[in-house]
Amino acid sequence: MDKELIAKLALAAGLGKALADFPDDVAMAAEQALGNQGGIAYPADPAAEPWPPMRAGSGL
Amino acid sequence: MSDLHWLTAAEATRAFATRKLSPVELMTALLARIERLDPKLHAFIRLDADAAMDAARAAEAEIVKGRVRGPLHGVPIGIKDIIDVAGLPTTCHSKILVDNVAKADSVVVSKLRAAGAIVVGKLSTHEFAIGGPSFDLPFPPARNPWNPDHHPGGSSSGSGAGVSAGLFPLALGTDTGGSVRNPASCCGIVGLKPTYGLVSRRGVFPLSFTLDHVGPMTRTVADNALLLDAIAGHDPADPGSAPSTARHFGRMLDRGVRDLRIGFVRHFHETDKPAHPEVTAALEDAARVLQAAGAELRNVTLPSLNEFAAVNRVILCSEAWSIHAPWLRERPGDYGQLSRQRLLPGAFINAGDYVGAQRRRAQMIATVEDAFRDCDVLICASSMDPASRIEDAAETARTYPRQARTPFNVTGHPAVAMMSGVSSNGLPLSVQFVGRYFEDATVLRVAAAYERGTDWHRKHPSLT
Repeated sequence: MDKELIAKLALAAGLGKALADFPDDVAMAAEQALGNQGGIAYPADPAAEPWPPMRAGSGL
Repeated sequence: MSDLHWLTAAEATRAFATRKLSPVELMTALLARIERLDPKLHAFIRLDADAAMDAARAAEAEIVKGRVRGPLHGVPIGIKDIIDVAGLPTTCHSKILVDNVAKADSVVVSKLRAAGAIVVGKLSTHEFAIGGPSFDLPFPPARNPWNPDHHPGGSSSGSGAGVSAGLFPLALGTDTGGSVRNPASCCGIVGLKPTYGLVSRRGVFPLSFTLDHVGPMTRTVADNALLLDAIAGHDPADPGSAPSTARHFGRMLDRGVRDLRIGFVRHFHETDKPAHPEVTAALEDAARVLQAAGAELRNVTLPSLNEFAAVNRVILCSEAWSIHAPWLRERPGDYGQLSRQRLLPGAFINAGDYVGAQRRRAQMIATVEDAFRDCDVLICASSMDPASRIEDAAETARTYPRQARTPFNVTGHPAVAMMSGVSSNGLPLSVQFVGRYFEDATVLRVAAAYERGTDWHRKHPSLT
């Protein structure tokens, strides 16, 4: 993954200190986050909702 | 009575009732054992010996007068150090919270006190229940009683090590990606992740709101049911708590498995993450034990372990980031390296991926629910390997994800892991049973039948 892009994303997430002190950890994290995308068969049906849906009024 | 440290909670309370043993005698024996063994095992972050002995004296006085508070009166229990116990530190095994003292009991600890249990102290964990066996934290990692050179599993490491070593008969752990069942598997004990929402999480430091569970860890199935009875129940202040009335989790332990339909998820350990041959052999043996006891066995196919793990990871990292972002921004150096590496990915996961993982989770739940139309309980692997050597970071990193526990954090079904054998290098092997929502009692029923059909629960680590 592009180092400059990782740095921009890390700074946008407020991780300037982590980027300065632990650049390898930040790079590894970005690579891992990107790697997750290929592993999931995201639902093709636009109407497939997350579970559980909002339950109005219960437990709040 | 001899070998008091191997008494189960059920045996101890029976002995208290018949005056064959007093809570003070039991506590004295356990504290002596802790003093002798814990310097090697590091199960404790904070031992609360004086308060525990005071509570044992009070329990003894009450029991003598016939005032039995509850089914665990006088029984010692250890608490994972992400669960609040009033007046004791909740450090989460981290420099970040090293000075944090809990102001109040968590709901589960309140319930334990009401049942009469005695908290002996706070137990080691992976940092914030996510790191790993780490040597760059304020406290050393717990070690495996079967061989202290090996990892006891995690993240409820001290809970697993302490129960297995006979430091206390009961412990609480938490389970977000398998953290009750992993130490149960590595240490040869019984660890249950209850149905999501059955046990309150209030007063427990969160890791992932969708995936977090509190669970009982014990040496026997009967004790597991006893402990679950004590901690289960609706909590209107926990948004994930279910208004379930499920109770008396030990009521079916003697019923056996005749006519139960048990689905074997073989692809988990045969093709998804091919298991160590000794794990595979022990799983097949476990299936045969249940078949011999009258269960009907059939094969079941679920989504792949890799996909369950990916869904778990995206949800866990996203939710954990929302909790840890302020500290990761300001104090990244105060985390151990492993937890920092495992928490930072949440900063790079976008909203679409998180919601997409939640949507896929809904489909996965539907698939597992479909499987339960034709089966009463599932049997599958827990860990694919015996415990790694604790100082072999590469081997721990290789074996840690080789497990079949995350599927049931993703779906929320109840799942118990327990001992199914001993490896050629003397470490416990494990099996997992999974049930329908709120049928935790059925899961324990199958576990009890398996326990009766084997001798594994009678085997203990030989500690000197």
